[in-house]
Amino acid sequence: MAFKRDKKEEEDGGGNIFLNLEKTSVLQEARTFNETPVNPRKCTIILSKILYLINQGEQLGTTEATETFFAMTKLFQSRDVILRRMVYLGIKELSSLAEDVIIVTSSLTKDMTGKEDLYRAAAIRALCSITDGSMLQAIERYMKQAIVDRNAAVSSAALVSSLHMTRIAGDVVKRWVNEAQEALISDNVMVQYHALGVLYHIRKSDRLAVTKLVTKLTRSPLKSPFAVCLLIRIVCKLLEEEGDVALSESPLFDFVEKCLRHKSETVIYEAAHAVVNLRRTTPRELAPAVSVLQLFCSSPKPALRFAAVRTLNKVAMSHPAAVTACNLDLENLISDSNRSIATLAITTLLKTGAESSVDRLMKQISTFVSEISDEFKVVVVQAIRALCLKFPRKHGVLMNFLSAMLRDEGGLEYKASIADTIISIIEENPDAKETGLAHLCEFIEDCEHTSLAVRILHLLGKEGPRTKQPSRYIRFIYNRVILESAVVRCAAVAAMAQFGASCPDLLPNILVLLARCQMDCDDETRDRATFYYHILSGDQPQFIYHYIVDHLQVSIPSLERALTQYVANPTPEQFDISTVPVSAPEPTNVPEKGHGTVDIANPVAVQPETPAKAAESYAVKLASIPELAPLPGSLFRSSDPVQLTESETEYVVKCIKHCFSDHLILQFNILNTLSDTLLESIGVTLEEPEGYEILKEVACPKLSCGETGSVYVLLKFPEDLSLSVSTFGATLKFVVKDCDPTTGEPDTDEGYHDTYMLEDLDVLLSDQVVRVMKGNWGAAWEQAEGESFFELEDTYVLTSVTSLEQAIQNIVVFLGMQPAERTDRLPQGKSAHTLLLAGMFRGGHDVLVRAKLALAEGVTMQITVRAPSQEIAELITSALG
Amino acid sequence: MGLLDKLSSLFRLKKREVKVLVVGLNNSGKSTVLNHLKSDDDKITVEPTVGLNVEKFKHNNVGFTALDMSGQVRYREVWEHYYSDCEGIIFVIDSSDRLRLAVVQEELELLLQHPDTVGKRLPILFFANKMDARDALSSVKIASALNLHRIINKPWHICASNAVKGEGLDEGIEWLTQQICENIRKE
Repeated sequence: MAFKRDKKEEEDGGGNIFLNLEKTSVLQEARTFNETPVNPRKCTIILSKILYLINQGEQLGTTEATETFFAMTKLFQSRDVILRRMVYLGIKELSSLAEDVIIVTSSLTKDMTGKEDLYRAAAIRALCSITDGSMLQAIERYMKQAIVDRNAAVSSAALVSSLHMTRIAGDVVKRWVNEAQEALISDNVMVQYHALGVLYHIRKSDRLAVTKLVTKLTRSPLKSPFAVCLLIRIVCKLLEEEGDVALSESPLFDFVEKCLRHKSETVIYEAAHAVVNLRRTTPRELAPAVSVLQLFCSSPKPALRFAAVRTLNKVAMSHPAAVTACNLDLENLISDSNRSIATLAITTLLKTGAESSVDRLMKQISTFVSEISDEFKVVVVQAIRALCLKFPRKHGVLMNFLSAMLRDEGGLEYKASIADTIISIIEENPDAKETGLAHLCEFIEDCEHTSLAVRILHLLGKEGPRTKQPSRYIRFIYNRVILESAVVRCAAVAAMAQFGASCPDLLPNILVLLARCQMDCDDETRDRATFYYHILSGDQPQFIYHYIVDHLQVSIPSLERALTQYVANPTPEQFDISTVPVSAPEPTNVPEKGHGTVDIANPVAVQPETPAKAAESYAVKLASIPELAPLPGSLFRSSDPVQLTESETEYVVKCIKHCFSDHLILQFNILNTLSDTLLESIGVTLEEPEGYEILKEVACPKLSCGETGSVYVLLKFPEDLSLSVSTFGATLKFVVKDCDPTTGEPDTDEGYHDTYMLEDLDVLLSDQVVRVMKGNWGAAWEQAEGESFFELEDTYVLTSVTSLEQAIQNIVVFLGMQPAERTDRLPQGKSAHTLLLAGMFRGGHDVLVRAKLALAEGVTMQITVRAPSQEIAELITSALG
Repeated sequence: MGLLDKLSSLFRLKKREVKVLVVGLNNSGKSTVLNHLKSDDDKITVEPTVGLNVEKFKHNNVGFTALDMSGQVRYREVWEHYYSDCEGIIFVIDSSDRLRLAVVQEELELLLQHPDTVGKRLPILFFANKMDARDALSSVKIASALNLHRIINKPWHICASNAVKGEGLDEGIEWLTQQICENIRKE
């Protein structure tokens, strides 16, 4: 190996001097900077080494950095141009690490205003990186001059630096607006582009000013294509904010459309991209943009082809019909020598094409799927997933293709996306279940990714027992116990236990296998095997149900916190798991048909915070408020914020309802939007309805403009459950003081009392119920019957809804419960449906609901509730009435 | 001294580059002094220095690289970073600023006691600047006020100057050049 590398180095010609650099020795070398006279060649190389180290992620300590920085300042005495420019780079890199970097200000201002053009732009950039808000005033004059400098590089550097400076001293940069205006009429493409960027940034919080700027610029054409591209983006932002006016009527949209006929390809593409991505685009506006992209598809430039096909690929999700016109061009691109273009072309065709062409396209992909990178393979997989949703009948072909892909080489992300796709196909399409599971079984026979193997084993444990022939999966699972690592063995043992619990005829065999697993060398595997063996052989059906079929439902972060607390403060009592809040299952965001693929531009879409995490952060926040301590038990559920005012009023108030087992905390988040007032001692007056009792109020002491503060009210739920669903009238009360809008200082010490009416606040049933995921709803239902639950049945006619889907949606929202066994999805063309729901009422009471729906005039619903107490059952049945 | 020696020393002097540090309180006239010493086409309008500036000028075939340090309070601690590699120090004093002579003395004391200067025979040139001001102290008075006579291990010289007009500067620089050249010859 060493020999090989030597040989390679010889070929490279002398090897890389930056290889194997060591920080301490390089910093030692930096002492050369102190020598007189300066040796520019040597110092340049040393500086390069320092920059290389920093860019490689080497950490410099403050002392080290400062020392190097000071040594570097001595290099200003050299007049070597290359060395000086390296020094600028060095200053920029070290500016955030070293202390006293400000001392080079004078040297840099001298270079920036000097005669040597090569120095000026770089000096500006370095200067802005060392300047802080207080020093900016001192160099303001030079910056203004530089922005309007005749030299394009200098002007650009000054503009971009100003953009960076807005972060630390936005107010100062705002004063440079006139200079930026002047730079905007420059002939240089970059200067114009950067000037527009600065101008927009300065004005972007002022909608009117932006509109003015845009109207002016759309009339007088800009020379720079880059500036036009930026302008298009700004225009799009304005269009999105415009509201529901038809695009074709907006003068701004005319501009974008005109840009489709611009002479620069960059601008044309930007305009097409913009049109396609506007939320309100209709097919009429889309047509010219798509035809432009279609032209690009046959361009000799690969970059243009790639851009076009990538955009078309995205459009195909939202407007498949519009892209169909390009099918012929896309067909030609399938054989493109650039594999990325070919992949995107095929996946686009898959989205737009008819069912009949699927087979042909799949064959074509398989010819080169091994040649493309993982990233694009994932795109292909996503396309197949969308296809499966669109043409469920094609699942055979697609599934075979996927399993072939599973057998190929590939990274974890690629394999995971295939497994995800197969799993989602299984969930969507019951016909595909058996084949899908079989493919997955085969996959785990030879799977190097532990996390995937564990996931698939878990899925087998969940789905396997409910197939026609559960026994065939056991062999695959047990093989894992023999062959795999400890983590996988654990998962396999757990999966087997599921079979044992759900298939009585397999139980004896499972027991034999579990008994063998008790010999395992891994502690965890052995423990699990022993645990499951004893439960399964114990002949106690309720244990089997509670400990194997029904899984843990508490929220994991809360459990962790509760356990740490328990360990930190040992008490003689046992840890009670029922005090840990239950976590709602994450909303199943199975994508709609046609939107099924993640676009490749941002494959990892920003995931909203999971409910469990949000609840946990609320719990921590509430616990940190001294006035509320001690909290009445652990937080059960926090609702989403409810708006209690219009969004554009003087005070914006939102309310979050935190539900505890017997108490309710209302958190009012208040935002003061008036720039000339200061609010003090803010509180909320509630008209408490019957049964509720206000225990405590925590007011917010002070709110200046733009600030958000919180007011808390602690209430006790009524004894009588039927009163707990109720409505509060709420009024904001506070002391107003007028103040100076710029400084925020109050003009006088005396304020006056004022009140502000809020909208009524509803406490609903869904605020008191947490969604609970039941893996096996039927078993839980049976179990509830055995455990002396109350059962209540009622029949309603829902006149306001006209379809079953709507009814299902409404019921789920009203009750705030989790649909089980995918009964929230409606098979097509049915006129009757049974919805199964599970949830937990505050205080930790399990609630199960079965709603039989039938479509007649309106929707008729027979609802059956099983709950541990009569009161809860009544509350739930009445909630829908 | 033979002709040959003279020639060779001249020859060596020709190539000589020296580095000097220019220090002193703020508003004492450091940048103005240097501005006057520079060649004519390099002149700038003087304003308070932030951090430091590097200036170059020539005197009698010796190329000077002068580090013009900022005299503002917050940058004075930066001076010491540059003591180690200079061959002479120019200390500029505002002779009309009687009030801050005590501060000057303090800063001078710090300079003299710094480990990087204490053992070296660094020549120090004092400019009693702004001699044209009406209430200016004479160079002799400043020397005694600062107690300069106690400096025995370093050659020093004080001369009155007017940096705006350039009076007295050449005399001082002449002395400094001589001292530095002597130091170099001794090495």
